[in-house]
Amino acid sequence: MLSLCISLPRRAATILVVLKIIAASALAASGSDKSAAPKTDIASLLQVQSDVQKLLPQVRLALVAIQTGGGTASGVIISPDGLLLTAAHVPGGPGKDMRIILEDGSMTTAKSLGLDKTTDAALAQLKKRDKPWPFVNLSREVIKAQPGEWCFALGHPGGFDKSRGPVLRVGKIVKQTANSLHTDCVLMGGDSGGPLFNFQGEVIGIHSQIWENRDQNVHVSMAPFLRSWEAMQKSQVIKTWGIGAGGYLGVATRMSDDAELEVADVIDGSPAQKAGIHAGDVIVGLNGSAMTDQPQFTATVRARAAGDTILLKLRSSGKERIVSVKLAQKPQEEGQ
Amino acid sequence: MTRLKEVRKPLSAILLLSLSFLHAEGPRPTLPPDQRTNGKHTLTAVEKLKPLTIACSARIESLLGRAICAATIVGEDGYVLIKASEVPDLGKVHIKFGDGRITDLREVHRETRLDLVLAQAVGATGLRAVSFGAARSLTMGQWLCSVAETGKEPRIGTVSARIRRIPGTGAALGIRMAEKSAVGDKGVRIIGIASESPAEAAGLQENDVLLSIASETVGQFRQVHDIVNKRQPGDVIEVRYLRKDKEETCRVRLASRTKVLQNWEGEDFANGGISLRTDNFPEVLQHDIPLLPTDMGGPVATLEGKVVGINIARVDRVTTFALPVEAFWTEAQQWIQADRHPPKAVLAQ
Repeated sequence: MLSLCISLPRRAATILVVLKIIAASALAASGSDKSAAPKTDIASLLQVQSDVQKLLPQVRLALVAIQTGGGTASGVIISPDGLLLTAAHVPGGPGKDMRIILEDGSMTTAKSLGLDKTTDAALAQLKKRDKPWPFVNLSREVIKAQPGEWCFALGHPGGFDKSRGPVLRVGKIVKQTANSLHTDCVLMGGDSGGPLFNFQGEVIGIHSQIWENRDQNVHVSMAPFLRSWEAMQKSQVIKTWGIGAGGYLGVATRMSDDAELEVADVIDGSPAQKAGIHAGDVIVGLNGSAMTDQPQFTATVRARAAGDTILLKLRSSGKERIVSVKLAQKPQEEGQ
Repeated sequence: MTRLKEVRKPLSAILLLSLSFLHAEGPRPTLPPDQRTNGKHTLTAVEKLKPLTIACSARIESLLGRAICAATIVGEDGYVLIKASEVPDLGKVHIKFGDGRITDLREVHRETRLDLVLAQAVGATGLRAVSFGAARSLTMGQWLCSVAETGKEPRIGTVSARIRRIPGTGAALGIRMAEKSAVGDKGVRIIGIASESPAEAAGLQENDVLLSIASETVGQFRQVHDIVNKRQPGDVIEVRYLRKDKEETCRVRLASRTKVLQNWEGEDFANGGISLRTDNFPEVLQHDIPLLPTDMGGPVATLEGKVVGINIARVDRVTTFALPVEAFWTEAQQWIQADRHPPKAVLAQ
């Protein structure tokens, strides 16, 4: 079985599609293994309830409603000096004045800073700075979030409603991509820009889009926020994100006869080749986490951006070594 | 408004775009549907609540067997509570219990203020009635369990906002009307029809000329407003109209004004439908259990199996309202008592 953990020109991409089916069936199999594990019981649901109820009184204070010329949305304060996270389609551009309604109904104002239109991430600044704002922390480890983990969403669906207050949704992470989290916390208009929390009370996502099914709710993950942070603080607008959907390493992998993850091929001119990775190397770990199969390795590499440096633990001829590789921008397909 | 609200039209575009990205992104571990919040795996947790929830609910069907809404069993001798605006005429529906028994319904008491009707399943005995707990003490984040899929399956969600009163906004047909009378000083021309509105459901079309509503002749759009405003969502009115010089009539079931206005262009595409009456409740418990309008009228319980309310309105993609037990149960017990023990006939003086 040969799988490529990168996006390749068309010929190879076709191979990837076929292999995806195999990978998907392997995943489905591992999924059914999990359901053989102990089922969810009432005690574990009550634990979820108690965790959410413990965090809620403090994190809800950082939620805001945002009113722009175009409509109403949500946002979240992430520093005592009043830095706000929201979705890029809320302000639509930098330097826009926005009316802010705090959790208790009081009003203030903010100005949008920069935004990343390719991932729907945006920063804004509350104008008043005379006293510290209530705030929440954001997660710097969002790529560790796994499908199946519980999370909860806050927002002002349909706009701010004083008698109702913020609206809570508790659900699970369904999927993580390089720039987004998908959950079954159901969202609708007005939630845009609101926070998705993990059970440490940290922001892991910002509500962005929905598809038709109730399980299809898309949040911008913290990854693009952290990546574009400096540009957004300088009120820059990122329109085309040259580095595509994730970092490029440039190796093809396969499972060896001993069921180990092995480098099958190295692409000419790729970061992997420059770092001295060879076909036949066994991939033992990535940034300290053990690597055991192809889907896991592919997802782990692609969850990182071009420019990120990863540490790969490799083994060849019985000797282990650690190689540092700076991921690159994926090669553009010719003619596109 | 925001991208979330605009998502309707470019939906297929977004979907296609995302699929083409999938090629580039390679396999991502995705949580199988059965392990999601309302997947089979998670729902095994509430399996043992079935005798306290599903067994205490029933399904209201049209005489042809189409699901209309749910009912909550409140008396072993056949008393049930139903969402009133879904069943204007109990003679046109029947009740189907979990064991397959089907009976007629006798209306006992209709309370429009609460949007509830107390009825008795004719001849039904030995039913399992719900055991009520308290709702007003529940706070956000509290798990709740409810009945879905026409009374067969449980669904879970949490209390998602404050308990509160929902003011009424009146009823609406879902039409825009011309300012001037259509024919001399008679008739009002329809110049726009809201998507999925009562008017659309009744078959009214643009350019139809309204002649009378509920037997009152209309010549100005204000008259139409006045007649509709006097009524409640769920009420049925007869409309006489002119289409291509031919007089016709239809019956329209009114909906809540907020529902019609918010959904004028069909913005609610991603929801699965909304109830006809979504407002004018003295008190509601809001939760995020994924339900359909046909699930309204069923019980909503805590994980201890105490029923804390009756689902009363599916409002939008994220909102279901339940009437908290405190808002109706004291009164409903009195209706049942009065029906079980009617005052003895007194001789005329």
